[in-house]
Amino acid sequence: MEQEEIIRLSQVNFYYGECRALNNITMRFRKNRVTALIGPSGCGKSTLLRLLNRMNDLIDGTKVEGEILFEGRNIYAPDVDPVEIRRKIGMVFQKPNPFPKTIYNNIAYGPKLTGVKVEDMDALVEQSLRQAVLWEEVKDILNKSAMNLSGGQQQRLCIARALAMKPDVLLMDEPTSALDPISTAKIEELIEELKKDYTIIIVTHNMQQAARISDETAFFYLGNLVEYNSTEKIFTNPDVKQTEDYITGRFG
Amino acid sequence: MVRDRAMKWRYFKQQIFFLLVRGAALAITLTLGGIILYIIYNGYSVISWDFITQPPTNSMTKGGILPAIVGTVYLTLGAILIGLPLGIASAVYLTEYARQGRIVRIIKVGINCLAGVPSVVFGLFGLGFFVIFLKFGSSILAGSLTLGFLILPTIIGASEEALKSVPQTFREASLSLGVSKWQTIYRIVLPNALPGILTGSILGIGRAAGETAPIMFTAAAFFTAKLPASIFDEVMALPYHIYVLATAGTHIEATRPIQFGTVLVLVAVVLGIDLTAIIIRGYMRRNKRW
Repeated sequence: MEQEEIIRLSQVNFYYGECRALNNITMRFRKNRVTALIGPSGCGKSTLLRLLNRMNDLIDGTKVEGEILFEGRNIYAPDVDPVEIRRKIGMVFQKPNPFPKTIYNNIAYGPKLTGVKVEDMDALVEQSLRQAVLWEEVKDILNKSAMNLSGGQQQRLCIARALAMKPDVLLMDEPTSALDPISTAKIEELIEELKKDYTIIIVTHNMQQAARISDETAFFYLGNLVEYNSTEKIFTNPDVKQTEDYITGRFG
Repeated sequence: MVRDRAMKWRYFKQQIFFLLVRGAALAITLTLGGIILYIIYNGYSVISWDFITQPPTNSMTKGGILPAIVGTVYLTLGAILIGLPLGIASAVYLTEYARQGRIVRIIKVGINCLAGVPSVVFGLFGLGFFVIFLKFGSSILAGSLTLGFLILPTIIGASEEALKSVPQTFREASLSLGVSKWQTIYRIVLPNALPGILTGSILGIGRAAGETAPIMFTAAAFFTAKLPASIFDEVMALPYHIYVLATAGTHIEATRPIQFGTVLVLVAVVLGIDLTAIIIRGYMRRNKRW
């Protein structure tokens, strides 16, 4: 792995109360790559994703051990403000969750409230929507409610909303699981395009999707990182039997 | 044939059941209608422009009830001004900030107990604390504070429910953009919860307008012809005026129509305040779709 790394986890444990959800995870994510996290439900992959932008802080009674370095800085150090981290590490959720606001205000919301100096908000909105390949579809209805869009459009809007913050990393938690195949294909194309500028970490239950879009794949099982390698290697010649069984659909 | 009979029997039971629930709904509607018709029938004769624009005269056996209307409106608005911000703030703390655990549970039990405290106790508390200790005297301020605390549990309860009904995904979406928690609450959670908060609070507002005991010692005057000039003035109030006319006046029988007229006005004022809240809510709800 010669390429520059952007996030490194070392010996990370994570607990929901007494229950240990992640077990001694050590791994790193490379810059401008798409990394897929796969594994059966409850294996800890979403938990891991939400650790990276400190979304698990919102849940009472959780505990993190170990170190998660983002650009060399431990994001769980006491002097780190989670709000700061989330500006740099954006997130797209499983279900499209636009705000009940206009399309324009959905995009402008983040930059406006976080005090980012924006010279030209209209330009930023357009740029973000173009990046998410949604501009052509919505340019005439920017002042309509985002709730009127289709599911796939809403999800691309959520991606545009995250991009408007100009993050370094984009976390995606099963972003296509609630979408139809055509919308899914659009989002996958989009991910391909976005990795030029962003580091993308995506959780997915869809094996073909992981194989199609990711450069690296990590397989999780019962809170353990079982195997982590280039996607090609994982899907053609995995080292661990469990990985092979899961990928070929023998369990999961 | 046997199956047919079983079927008929089940159908019959269903009819009985429908009849019972229909009857219950009807009984409530009739009771409500009956009360309102009774009030209108007995009170309409005194309703006139003068009745709602003139102060009482001849030891309150003639004239209007303007000071009482104004007093009740002021007291209710005052109670809203105090109860609504305080109640919403408490609910925000309880649902958004406080770590869910023992202390929050104890606070919630406390709030529920507060809801069960008889209103006359609030009146005595208001007398002891606002009127005497804080030296507000019997005044709009003391009465509004007392009523505000009286409706606080209702508002907190309604606000908690409304806040909880805002989808968690909105909070997550906002926080994931690096927006702070307070901004998320202020910009996303509260605006989406406000219609629900108002719905629940309407109940409290109606109660504030109609209560007699809490204002008896803290705000209400037996009689004053002049309208209040400041929040430290004593006022007449509709519920207390009704109480006075019906129990303590010298001409209880002679003032019956005035009593019913006053009741009619009180009901109208409460409905008017509710209607305003409902219109505001409808306006805010236009964008709510999830």
